[in-house]
Amino acid sequence: MTKQVSTKKLSHPPGDFSIWIVIYVELLTFGLLFMGYAFSRRSDVELFNASQLVLNQTSGFINTLILITSSYFIVKAVQSIKTMAKEHQAQANILASKWILSAMFLGLVFLVIKVWEFSNIFSMGITLSTNIYFMFYLMLTMFHFMHVMLGLIILFNIRQKMRLDGYSLEDHIGLETGASYWHLVDLLWIVLFPLVYILR
Amino acid sequence: MNHIKYKLELIWLSLIALSLFAYIMGQVEYFPKLFSILLLLGTLIKGQLIIDYFMGMKQVKLKYRLIPTLWLTIVIIVIAATYYKTN
Repeated sequence: MTKQVSTKKLSHPPGDFSIWIVIYVELLTFGLLFMGYAFSRRSDVELFNASQLVLNQTSGFINTLILITSSYFIVKAVQSIKTMAKEHQAQANILASKWILSAMFLGLVFLVIKVWEFSNIFSMGITLSTNIYFMFYLMLTMFHFMHVMLGLIILFNIRQKMRLDGYSLEDHIGLETGASYWHLVDLLWIVLFPLVYILR
Repeated sequence: MNHIKYKLELIWLSLIALSLFAYIMGQVEYFPKLFSILLLLGTLIKGQLIIDYFMGMKQVKLKYRLIPTLWLTIVIIVIAATYYKTN
């Protein structure tokens, strides 16, 4: 009986289903941009390889570690509510709130590093119209940057609700909805980083 | 039990290790075709780990899990194909 319960698949992905419509649309949009980048590179490989050297791979790598770790913190927050909230709802919300705050801090560090990177790029006189590589680089990373900002706003609202002990074992769909969005942001960066910064 | 307890931590560490691997490859001046394949394979594994364990799709019916999985696979294959033809 226990085995049957543990192996049964959920009928819907975690969180509100509407966020999954958003996630699938975002995946499609970014997927087309990633493939557009790869096809455009074929027309001038030398230009793409030379332009890529201008980027700071270390900051891209640090940002990868930051997003992976923040995603891990979000999973811990969801776990805290799922495992503790039945008996200790207040403590579960406090613990989950700390995980969310840690994830938000890392998200902010990500943005600071990106702003620093953008300012370096702009100080070199590079813009969207410099060449096709930088058009894709700026478009992809700025678009992703906006997603991180939106993710932070969502996490902020989740934390506000947690401060009021707003999530329980029965009702934590809002938390799972925000978590799913944050993992999307992480997933997109996981493909973006090697494609734009490393692959040549 | 401990295996289950630390599963999430193992996944997190795997993601960190694969990212470090990618970064080190990026530091090498000579970048052969094999590196591109390994890099994309590592990206595929990382993406699937996030989809399955962070997004929780491993516990969800296959039709929902297939959408991000297919997205990731198609994107990686198309990138690999374009790089294979140009390098």
